[in-house]
Amino acid sequence: MTVEERIKNVIAQQLKLKLEDIKNDSDFVKDLGADSMASIELMAAFEAEFDIEMDEDAALSVKTVDNAVEFIQNILDQ
Amino acid sequence: MNVIIFEDQKFDNLYPLTYLRPVYELKCGHTTLRQKIERMIGSSSFYYFIRDYLAPVFEKKLGNGKINRFDVLKDNDLLLINGRLLAIDTKIDLDGPEQAALCENQLVYARIKKASAKKITFNHLDEFIKNATSILPQKNIAATLINYPWNLVQNNGKAIIDDFNQLTDKGIHVELSPQAAIVGDKSLIHIASGSLIRPFVTLDTTNGSILIDENVIIHPYTHIEGPNAIGKNTEAFGGNIRAGCAIGPVCRVHGEIEESIIHGYSNKHHDGFLGHAYVGEWVNLGAFTTNSDLKNDYTTVQLYVKGELVDSGDMKVGSFIGDHSKTSIGTLLTTGAMIGIMSNVINAGGLIPKFVPSFCWFLKNRATKGFGFEHMLKTAVTSMERRNVKLTPEDETMLRTVFEMTKEERSFWIKKGSRS
Repeated sequence: MTVEERIKNVIAQQLKLKLEDIKNDSDFVKDLGADSMASIELMAAFEAEFDIEMDEDAALSVKTVDNAVEFIQNILDQ
Repeated sequence: MNVIIFEDQKFDNLYPLTYLRPVYELKCGHTTLRQKIERMIGSSSFYYFIRDYLAPVFEKKLGNGKINRFDVLKDNDLLLINGRLLAIDTKIDLDGPEQAALCENQLVYARIKKASAKKITFNHLDEFIKNATSILPQKNIAATLINYPWNLVQNNGKAIIDDFNQLTDKGIHVELSPQAAIVGDKSLIHIASGSLIRPFVTLDTTNGSILIDENVIIHPYTHIEGPNAIGKNTEAFGGNIRAGCAIGPVCRVHGEIEESIIHGYSNKHHDGFLGHAYVGEWVNLGAFTTNSDLKNDYTTVQLYVKGELVDSGDMKVGSFIGDHSKTSIGTLLTTGAMIGIMSNVINAGGLIPKFVPSFCWFLKNRATKGFGFEHMLKTAVTSMERRNVKLTPEDETMLRTVFEMTKEERSFWIKKGSRS
C-alpha cells in the first residue's frame, strides 16, 4: 500500500468516512468535517500508523489530504 | 542576620504544582509557605534560593537582588529555613545558638554564625547546606514539612485558622446584607473592606473561622463553612463551600468545594464537586467537572509522584491540577488524579486516569500532543488577558523550559496511549 493509501485509510477510520469520499484536495476541516479534536486524533493516528513523530506546530500547516501525504512522505524520507 | 528560605531536593515530589513556582510559593491556608515563614520571623533581611529557570520570574515577584545570592551566605550570620516548612506549629527564633534542627532527618532550619559560614566550602547551595549541617550541633524537633502535594490539603484547615488568628484587624469591615445569615460565633469572621456579601449568603463558623479578603463578592445562595479563606477579588456564585477551603485571589467559584486549595486566577464557575484538591493558577474547570476524593472500598489513595505510585496513607485525597490546565464540561477525575501543567483534559464519557502529563491534550482516554506548545501559549496569553495580566517574556521562557523538561515523560505517556 502506498503512503497515500495508508493515509486515506487512517482518515476513513478516524473520521468514519467512506474511502471514496476522501479526495486528494479534500480539506480536513471544510470537506471532511475534522474539528479541532478530530484533527489531533488524526495526527496521533498518523504517528501510530507510520511510527513517526510529527512536529505539532509544523503540522498545523497541513490543510488537505495532499498536504498530509507530502508532510508525512517528507518525514519518512528523512 | 540574613534569613535564607531555600528549596531542597524534594521540590519534584510536589510536581506538577512546583513546575512554575518554588515550593515555598505554594499555598496552605490563606497564605503561602513563604509568607508564613516571614510572618513567624518578622522583619529581617530575607533571601531566597530557587531553581535557576524560575529565577527571572521570581526575581520580579520576590524582589531584585533577593534570589540565589551566594555572596550573602558568607557576609553575615545566617538562618537557613527549609521552604517546605509549614510555619504554624514550629517556632524559630532569629537569635540562638548555632544549630541544625532536623525533623525525620530533613533539615528544618540551621542557625550559623558568620565565622562558621565563612569556613564552609561549597559549589552549590545543597552542598553548603549539607556541609553546614555536618559541622553544626544537631537537634531533632517536631515540625511539619510538606513532603507531598496532599500534605498541603491535609494541613489547610489548621493553616486557615492560624492565618485568621494572626490577623491584626480582625472584624467585619463591611455592611452585610440584612438577608445574609451568620451561624455561630460572629467574632470568628473577618471580612475586609471592599467586599460584598449579598442576600441569602450563610457564613457558618461552627467549626472554624472564615476569612474573606478585600474586594470579594459572595453572591446569593452561597453557603460558606469555616475554616475557610476567600482571597482578594474572588467571586463565589452560589453553592456549598464546605470546611477547609482556601480560594483565590481572583477566582470564580460555584458548586460544591470541600477541603481544597484553589491557588489563584482559576475558575470553577459551574456545578460539580471539587474535594481534597489543589488547583494551580490559570486553571479552568468546565461545567460539571467533578473529582473523586474517596474510593468506594475506602482504601488509601495512591498517586503518581515522579512516575511511581505513592500511597498517601489517606482515604480522602482528590486531584492536583497544574497551572494553565483546563477541563472540558463533564470531566470526571478519578481519586488522586495528577494533571500536569498546561494540559487540556477532554471528557470522553469515563473517568480521567490517575496521571495526565503536562502540555498535552487528553482526548478519548489517551494523551496526545494537541496542537503543540505555541497553541497552548496563545491560550495562556488569552486567559491571562481576561484578568488583565500579561504573560511576560520571562514567563514564556519558564514555560518553554518546563515544556522541554517534561518532553520525555510526555512522549512516554503519548506512546503508551497509542499502543492501547
